[in-house]
Amino acid sequence: MKANIFEIKHFAVHDGDGIRTTLFIKGCPLKCAWCHNPEGLSVKSELAFLSHKCINCGECVNVCNFNAHSILDGKHVYSRKTCMTCGDCVDVCPEDALKLYGITYSADELLPLLLKDKDFYKNSNGGVTISGGECLTQPDFCEKLLKSLKENDIHTAVDTCGFVNKNALDKVIPYTDVFLYDVKAIDNDVHIKCTGQSNKIILENLLYLDSKNCKIEIRYPYVPNYNDTEVDKIGEFLSKLKNVTKVKVLPYHNLAGSKYTSLDLKNTLPFVLPNDEQILHAKKVLSSYGLNVVD
Amino acid sequence: MQKFDFNNKSLINQYDNITYIEDSGVSFEEMTKFYSDLMQSDNGDNHDLIKANLFDYILTNAKIAIDKEDIFQEKVFDGDLIGLQRKKWLSDIKDGVLKNETLECLNAYNKYGSYRAEEDLGHTSPNTKALLKLGFKGLINRINDTIANKKLTIKQEKFYNSCKIVLNACKKLANRLSDAILPFNKENAIALKNIANSAPNNIYEAMQLIVLYFFAHEYVYKTRVRTLGRLDVLLYPFYKNDIENGIYTKADVIEMLKYFFNKFSSAKVPFGLPFAIGGLDENKNEVTNEISYLIVDVYKQMNIYSPKIHIRVSPKTPVDFIKRVLSCIINGKSSFVFINDTVTVNALKKVGICEKDALDYTPIGCYEPAVWGKEIGCTGGAGVNLVKAVEYVLSGGYDVLTGDFCTFKPAVINTYEDFYNEVKKQIKFLTDKCIDYVNTIERYYSYLGPDSMLSAQYDDSVKNGIDVLEGGATYNNTSLNFYSLASLVDCLSVVKEFVFDKKIITLTDLFTILKNNWKNNLNLRSKILKYNAKYGNENAVADKITIDVTRYLASIVNNRKNSRGGVYKASLFTIDTCFYFGKRTFATPDGRLQGETLSKNLCASLTMDKNGILSLINSVTIFDHSDFPNGSVLDVVLHPSNVSGNDGLNAFYGIVKTYFDKGGFSIHGNVFNADELKKAQQNPEKYTNLQVRVCGWNAYFVNLTKQEQDAFITQANHVS
Repeated sequence: MKANIFEIKHFAVHDGDGIRTTLFIKGCPLKCAWCHNPEGLSVKSELAFLSHKCINCGECVNVCNFNAHSILDGKHVYSRKTCMTCGDCVDVCPEDALKLYGITYSADELLPLLLKDKDFYKNSNGGVTISGGECLTQPDFCEKLLKSLKENDIHTAVDTCGFVNKNALDKVIPYTDVFLYDVKAIDNDVHIKCTGQSNKIILENLLYLDSKNCKIEIRYPYVPNYNDTEVDKIGEFLSKLKNVTKVKVLPYHNLAGSKYTSLDLKNTLPFVLPNDEQILHAKKVLSSYGLNVVD
Repeated sequence: MQKFDFNNKSLINQYDNITYIEDSGVSFEEMTKFYSDLMQSDNGDNHDLIKANLFDYILTNAKIAIDKEDIFQEKVFDGDLIGLQRKKWLSDIKDGVLKNETLECLNAYNKYGSYRAEEDLGHTSPNTKALLKLGFKGLINRINDTIANKKLTIKQEKFYNSCKIVLNACKKLANRLSDAILPFNKENAIALKNIANSAPNNIYEAMQLIVLYFFAHEYVYKTRVRTLGRLDVLLYPFYKNDIENGIYTKADVIEMLKYFFNKFSSAKVPFGLPFAIGGLDENKNEVTNEISYLIVDVYKQMNIYSPKIHIRVSPKTPVDFIKRVLSCIINGKSSFVFINDTVTVNALKKVGICEKDALDYTPIGCYEPAVWGKEIGCTGGAGVNLVKAVEYVLSGGYDVLTGDFCTFKPAVINTYEDFYNEVKKQIKFLTDKCIDYVNTIERYYSYLGPDSMLSAQYDDSVKNGIDVLEGGATYNNTSLNFYSLASLVDCLSVVKEFVFDKKIITLTDLFTILKNNWKNNLNLRSKILKYNAKYGNENAVADKITIDVTRYLASIVNNRKNSRGGVYKASLFTIDTCFYFGKRTFATPDGRLQGETLSKNLCASLTMDKNGILSLINSVTIFDHSDFPNGSVLDVVLHPSNVSGNDGLNAFYGIVKTYFDKGGFSIHGNVFNADELKKAQQNPEKYTNLQVRVCGWNAYFVNLTKQEQDAFITQANHVS
């Protein structure tokens, strides 16, 4: 049982408490317009080509066995169709213009990479966060890894969009110290507009986690013209839950644009960024529902 | 106690333009005449005495100045006479008997950038414990008690007389300042009168005594005093007593600390004046007390970087105290370094310092631990550029940039082991050169700079009648610093892989490429830069080299005898040599271009810590830091987003604590983002207050050289 990981982020300080290592698992059932990790959408491995870094040296052409790289008229051309995402080219690219998103690991292979920083977790009340994409698309893998982490006395967090099978939640609940749970909208039409999917399952799952007394940290990505009308509704919904320990408002940013280009994906990023007053206001409103709003 | 006014420019900038009281002392002409007459009596064997007499003359007769708006007084016009005297004596030796040896060292430093060897009369730590306990008068009494009924040699007699003269001179200055300030500030006048005649009675007098002593010693007697000692240990008993007896309130003491810090800040003491707080005492109890907290709180309110503060951290140091300091750093007040008690004490024990003494160390200068009031560390006189050894092996002993033959021709090299052995031989050669010179010049310390001010405070010096710089302290050690460890490790690792393991290039061809500064070989250079077996990345190959090299370095320095009856202590920090020697070092196998910066302190080569800060720390602590008893330091650069909010503070704490748990010696850091630094570089007038941690000291970013600024920007970019 392996998972396709697109990033292992060491020294992550905003994916839960303390110093953490965050695993990003590929594949997501939602399609949020503002997605800032488009490399996590597809479950398959992908090669990113950052053309602005390429010096057309041809080192990648020499090592590629699948004719995915070629030099035409002195210029590097990448063929995504023929690429088998083996990553050989990444190792030789002198300018880091090629990046492989998606390397498969078993839980056993990952464990030493996570445990090596145990002292840092311990001294900062940190731990390991499994994120994505949507990590709970691979519940068995998550269960196994989380269980091993708990056996090693590591604090665990699961970062989820909630659009998952309830069985998946049941598998990880026993080994998860905190759920980092996204709430994008309460109004279902708004939710569909934002993510392409209904929020029915998401809200049900949130209530389910709460009923199971799981510790929950809510993340509300604030995107003007998409879900900025949802503040009050979110506040009201959350105020009924017993186990929400923190609420974070995440101001939308558009820094992921180059990632879309490098992956040949259609850039869906909204144009309008939130301003400071909007974020402050959202925090204030949420606080007024008795929620612990943190930075 | 009067409130400190942050907007009072004449208080804040009191050292910029000093007005001495016109009729308070003799003219400069008279002073120089006294100096010339005095120097007639210089017979080469009485320097302690004539230095003491000159000091006494100045403190007794020269013009003084008072700061009516301050609560501490210390100013006397010294005319740099002792500086002049010292320069003459240095010149007598360095342009005289040691002319050739000195020239060789100057060339090594200025021309080749290979090593630095000079006298170090300046890394001293006074015994402020004895000073505050006894006062000037008590110190004189202690000498009188020691010599009563004792038969003294002529040398000892001179020694004791000199000590008494300088202590008496300090008393006289205190009295003069007291009289001058009396019409304006009675409380200050009384304090000065009291410290002239006894030990300090309260915390205010204690601080006034430290101020007066420090400026007399550093600015008149011209000894670089590189720490005030453990300030919280010194001040706490006074504080406790004053509070209990209603003499001063906590609010009073807060104001006093502001004036106290301002004094050192306004004087712009070069490289900042340090003191230590926190850590264990000789009975292994944590010393952190209310004063330690007050010091940090007051410091946080002030926009200054000197005095600079050494935070001793033991397993018992309160977590909230460490976090309080970290929050200062997060807010841009970065003039702090954390030093690990556990490692330091073990390190000092390895060079023959007993545990009880080791526990009472105080860092002097940047990070160098020395036993408080018992050790003369001479921590800054010697150092070797490790990367030069690689240059000499490849070039056959020649300095590449000048073409001069500098060391020796290496043996035939067939394997990586051969290469590594030759590098070690060159390092040893440079180290021996360094130590030979330092040992030679140390024999002239009684000529160059006897230090009666310091000796009078040192218990053993007083007991035995021997000047501290002639071996009179309990521990009379010398240190040797190795510069740019990461650059050396990377060079070795690259040569191993590209020349010997993969045979991509021969050693000869590599040298040709380096001589041409990588010209036309950028492809190979990018491959080398991309090669991941580099220092600071949890790479097994590089880590193994690091362990092996550091063991070797420690073995050729620690416990070697110096010429003052002590031993050598090795260390690993770079001061500013990463830039200065970098300019003089050829293009190196690790892909570095000619003249570029070498690796700093225990950091990875610039931007080569590709796996992030946790990997860096895991690798940096792979070797035994207690093998470097003169200290080492890791600089961390963090992006503000890494340390924002409570999460961020916990993360920062996790970094420091884990570094220490893993055996790191000391650590300091900067929190900034590259964009802000770039703006500061472009619009310096808008960023005059932006301070950065440089090495063991802080500076305003806008005052750094372009090369130094760029290095910070590169580092900040790298972590964003």
